[in-house]
Amino acid sequence: MNNKPCPYEDAVAAAARSGEWSAELGAHRDGCLSCAEETLVVAALASDAEELTDSAPPLPDPGLIWLRARLAARERKVKSATRWISLVQKAALACAAAVALAFAPAIWSLVGKAFTSVDIAGPTLPRAAGSPILVLVGSMAVLGILALAELTSMQERR
Amino acid sequence: MMDEAAFRCLYQRTARPLRAYLARSCGDLALADDLLQEAYLRYLRSAFEGEDETHRRNYLYRIATNLMRDHFRRKRPETDEVPERDHSPGHAEAVHLRSDVGTAMAELSPKDRQMLWLAYVEGSSHREIAEALGLRAASIRSMLFRARKRLAEKLRARDLHPAGEVS
Repeated sequence: MNNKPCPYEDAVAAAARSGEWSAELGAHRDGCLSCAEETLVVAALASDAEELTDSAPPLPDPGLIWLRARLAARERKVKSATRWISLVQKAALACAAAVALAFAPAIWSLVGKAFTSVDIAGPTLPRAAGSPILVLVGSMAVLGILALAELTSMQERR
Repeated sequence: MMDEAAFRCLYQRTARPLRAYLARSCGDLALADDLLQEAYLRYLRSAFEGEDETHRRNYLYRIATNLMRDHFRRKRPETDEVPERDHSPGHAEAVHLRSDVGTAMAELSPKDRQMLWLAYVEGSSHREIAEALGLRAASIRSMLFRARKRLAEKLRARDLHPAGEVS
């Protein structure tokens, strides 16, 4: 038995699918076991496909698939639009938290003084803990972490 | 994204053969319908234009094949393959039981089933089959040859012969 693909196999497959055999190809098929097998397989699969297509219940409604696709697209658009709003909100919150943290020691000492001191000449505005550079660095660090988290989640969503 | 009329047109032309491919490959018509819908949803989401009708059809088959593989990978994490035959409860309506050819096909490996269907029912080229199944185009000819031999043996064992085709 021939254990290698026959050079005529593409032509035989096409003829078996269409049912149009030239005399030469028909003669080759009858003498070539590989091509006879191919003809058998093509004919069997064609009848199976026909039976499967004819006996299968109706297809899912394309209108519903279209609607689901539209809804999913809209949802993605909304998500994409609100992502930046949410990012800005988070950034603002982070800045507020960083500034509050930076001023916390000064505010704490001010409150402490208000309770202990009898001098009511009026407190001066609290100074930032450390320096303004520290506040800036703290804020930038928080923002950087937020941006990194957002980028990572964007990559995961893709 | 294409408009609804264009989508309906594409669906009309491709849905039946795609469902038959999925049903014969996974052996379950209900699952085939789920995968079919998901394949079209992914296709629409991708906004794939394609050079022509054949290109779009091939892309759709590739999505469907990947979805099928992913489905069974999730179901059975130890393998990334479609099962040889599903013995799970509620599988009584499995489509491979409906015909002798279907039963013979169900005894083949999933890759053999997909390859044979694409080559001999869909008339896909070796390059197209390789793209859809994630294989090397150069190895398709010999893989197809072996798959064909295996199916022919099973068909002959069932005494199935196409009328008037083989002497």
